[in-house]
Amino acid sequence: MQYRRTLRRGTALALAAVLAAGCAAKTTSGADSGGKTVNIALNSWVGYEADAAVVKYLLEHELHYTVKLTQIDEQPAWQALDQGTLDVILENWGHQDLVKTYIQQKKTVVDGGPTGNKGVIGWYVPKYVVDEHPDITNWKNLNKYASLFRTPESGGKGQFLGGSPSYVTNDKALIKNLKLNYQIVFAGSEAAEITQVKKLYKQKKPALFYFYTPQWLFNQLQLVKINLPKYTPGCDADPKKVACDYPAYDLNKVFRKGFTSSGGKAYQLLKNFRWTNKQQNEVAGMIADQGLDRDTAAKKWVEANKSTWEKWMPK
Amino acid sequence: MTALATSAPVTPRRRTRRWVWAVGVLAVLLAGFALLNGVFPFPARLDIGLSARLDEAYAWAVKNRDVSPLFLYGFNYISVGLGSLVTIVNNLLIALTWPGVIVAGAALAGWAAGRRMALVTAGAFVCFGVLGLWDDSMTTLALMLSSVLIALIIGVPVGIWAGRRDRVQRVVTPILDFMQTMPSLAYLMPMVLLFGIGTPAAAVATVVYAIPPAVRITSLAIRGVPPAAVEATTSMGSTPWQLLTKVRLPLARSTLLLAVNQTIMMAMSMVVIASIIGAGGLGDDIYQALSKVNVGTALQAGLAIVIMAIALDRVTNAAGRRTRTHVDRTALARYALPAGGLAGIVVAVLVGRVLLADESFPENWSFSIAEPVNAVVDWLQNHVAPATDAITRVLVSGVFDPLRAVLTDSPWWLVIAAVVALGVIFGGYRVAITAGVSTLLVGLLGVWDLGMDTLSQVIVASVITIGVGGVIGVAAARSDVFAAVIRPILDAMQTMPAFVYLIPVVALFDAGRTPAAIAAVIYALPVVIRLVNDGVRGVSRTAVEAATAMGSTRWQLLFKVQLPLARASLLVAMNQGIMMVLAMVAIGALVGAGALGYGVVFGLAQNQFGLGMCSGLAIVFLGTMLDRVSQGAARRPLP
Repeated sequence: MQYRRTLRRGTALALAAVLAAGCAAKTTSGADSGGKTVNIALNSWVGYEADAAVVKYLLEHELHYTVKLTQIDEQPAWQALDQGTLDVILENWGHQDLVKTYIQQKKTVVDGGPTGNKGVIGWYVPKYVVDEHPDITNWKNLNKYASLFRTPESGGKGQFLGGSPSYVTNDKALIKNLKLNYQIVFAGSEAAEITQVKKLYKQKKPALFYFYTPQWLFNQLQLVKINLPKYTPGCDADPKKVACDYPAYDLNKVFRKGFTSSGGKAYQLLKNFRWTNKQQNEVAGMIADQGLDRDTAAKKWVEANKSTWEKWMPK
Repeated sequence: MTALATSAPVTPRRRTRRWVWAVGVLAVLLAGFALLNGVFPFPARLDIGLSARLDEAYAWAVKNRDVSPLFLYGFNYISVGLGSLVTIVNNLLIALTWPGVIVAGAALAGWAAGRRMALVTAGAFVCFGVLGLWDDSMTTLALMLSSVLIALIIGVPVGIWAGRRDRVQRVVTPILDFMQTMPSLAYLMPMVLLFGIGTPAAAVATVVYAIPPAVRITSLAIRGVPPAAVEATTSMGSTPWQLLTKVRLPLARSTLLLAVNQTIMMAMSMVVIASIIGAGGLGDDIYQALSKVNVGTALQAGLAIVIMAIALDRVTNAAGRRTRTHVDRTALARYALPAGGLAGIVVAVLVGRVLLADESFPENWSFSIAEPVNAVVDWLQNHVAPATDAITRVLVSGVFDPLRAVLTDSPWWLVIAAVVALGVIFGGYRVAITAGVSTLLVGLLGVWDLGMDTLSQVIVASVITIGVGGVIGVAAARSDVFAAVIRPILDAMQTMPAFVYLIPVVALFDAGRTPAAIAAVIYALPVVIRLVNDGVRGVSRTAVEAATAMGSTRWQLLFKVQLPLARASLLVAMNQGIMMVLAMVAIGALVGAGALGYGVVFGLAQNQFGLGMCSGLAIVFLGTMLDRVSQGAARRPLP
């Protein structure tokens, strides 16, 4: 018995020692280690990942920061800025409700200026559909072609494939208010929607769906936007009465308030970060189509585009 | 019907009559649907407006998070504590370096569960590295170990208490039911608000989901301790504490380890969901692969999760089965092996830190399965799609649509009356009241139509699951070879995160209710197959031998002896099948199931707490109704 107890104590001591070593080894990796770590939210679409990859590469290799990307959905990401666990959201699409809560009321989050990317949300069909029925791009003719888009799920009407529930959507109201003979089927996730669209595209079958640019899928498929009634400021004020197209978004960055004063050079780079849809698609394409991991894709782009990113560097 | 509701022994003839009654109820429902189609939608004024009130509470919390003492002195401390626990475990794993983790894991498994399990553990760790997912696997493992630890620290004492006091058990059981049927996606948002993003919120969400088996099985274990042992000890004058630590817990050891095992399994199913709120780990790999529609990469990470789950399952299982006989242990086993294990760990850590300079698992030792897997998925889509498209057409227009129409367009009171009647028939009055009230509550939450839509989908998926699972389960019970072959497949089906196969099911069955049902069937099948297999195998050998001796054929044996005698387990299989299908309602919304699941997902994504929570609650109420009615059938006295 005596030996066993000694042994047990020995084990406990050894474990404690290892534990202590473990803590000692990593105490420097907290969120606030002298301002040298930048915590960036990573939303799930590839365009966002392209932004994050390039910014991360520059912060690490040009400014010698440590960058931590945190995979997270859009809503919790805003909360994370509010709670101080993340520093920046790189590509924000509107979110008026969150802007109101956190930027205007709580003042814990600030607008970080445009990314330069123009976000266009809308209804899309594959190009082969337009080739066959050129007048389909006018929304007024959509009812004429409703039967083309019929599926078992759409119950006699045409099927409109809805996008991810986390994106900005007015589709249900649009179908109702424009009196369209379509049934909305919620794909429920971007993955499901793209899978479905790719399948129909391969079979050259008609598809009408919610989509947006910049998006890497445009590198693979030729898609055409349907012209809905033109957007005028305020026409989407009441979500239930929307009968117009989506506005064009100037996608923007959003910062944690404290980061704007303590972020130093990292903040300046992020603030200056600005590029075009084409440039984002280049990097997104490398990640999604060519299967490069994000660091390699970023390295490739950074090496080839010095003149662009030089302008982002803090003076 | 009154005669049926009493607890008099049910003869086979009575049982037949029960089914006749049930068919009668359905006939009335159909007649009502035909005559009063759409005349009585659920009245909007009965909506209790819970959603709006929840939204107000949420807005208050958002506003006062930084000033309210509730947060400053309550949740924030819990959050910091949880975060630190996970970080400590994670840092420990990092500090050990990869050779150290492999050796330490193997040594621990060997000490607790024997040499074979040491090899299994080492093999699993090597797999994480070879799959190229070492770092993310460690992040996930740290979150899982911490969450399981907390779940056990809370769950085991509660379980002991519930095991000793019936009243506690009665209070705790419905709470546990609630924790298990509430979709975790519905309470993710408040978790983030209360505990902050990342590991703290993820740990709490995982703990909430993993506690129920810890409590339930601990209670069961304590109840299973033979009273004679307790009496003997009490008569010898031991204190209650001695009674607990020296008698009850040691005697319940193997059941308690089953509690640990099941807690781990439940926790593992939260890996991907934790990624939504920034907890990192293997879930990230799956999540990011999904946005690129890359099934192969998602499967690779899914495989790591499956391997982790199966290794943890096998080790805890083996540890539970092992009986320690101290007498025959040699000096070698007692001192040399533990000392050797410790020395091995130290050497491995030194190798990792000094020789390999803290590097992660070497990248060039890893390989990717993504491309071949994607090729297979493409091939399937090109060649199997015509057949699967036909299945979708038949299921949607022939089954989903009519059933949904009956449930949503019949008068709402008739649907509730039908539920009550079925409750009376299968379970008696108490069951009927609970089931009826639960169904009514779905309407009171203001989501009657969506609820009925979901109910129709759950019914269809459950019927498929029970049918297919029953057949495979019986086949497994009759052939040891078949049972052995499907076991690893069932393990993989049960532990593979559904997110991995969401893309393939859409590629085959088109976005909508069909892929959601198929995903639910995949998830629910293993449990049904296992329970049917166990049930049929559990039929007493004498009964089988007697029947065989009297010259019955294999089929007669099955239908006249084995299945009737296994009735209780078959009904449990049915009940569990339905519950598992229900657990997939929210996930199904990610591939186009719509209805309540979409409410949960949309609420989470669009900051509409009230909508998400009400949809989640409605799922809980549907679950209560289905559970009570199907369990009622199982609990009825046997002939």
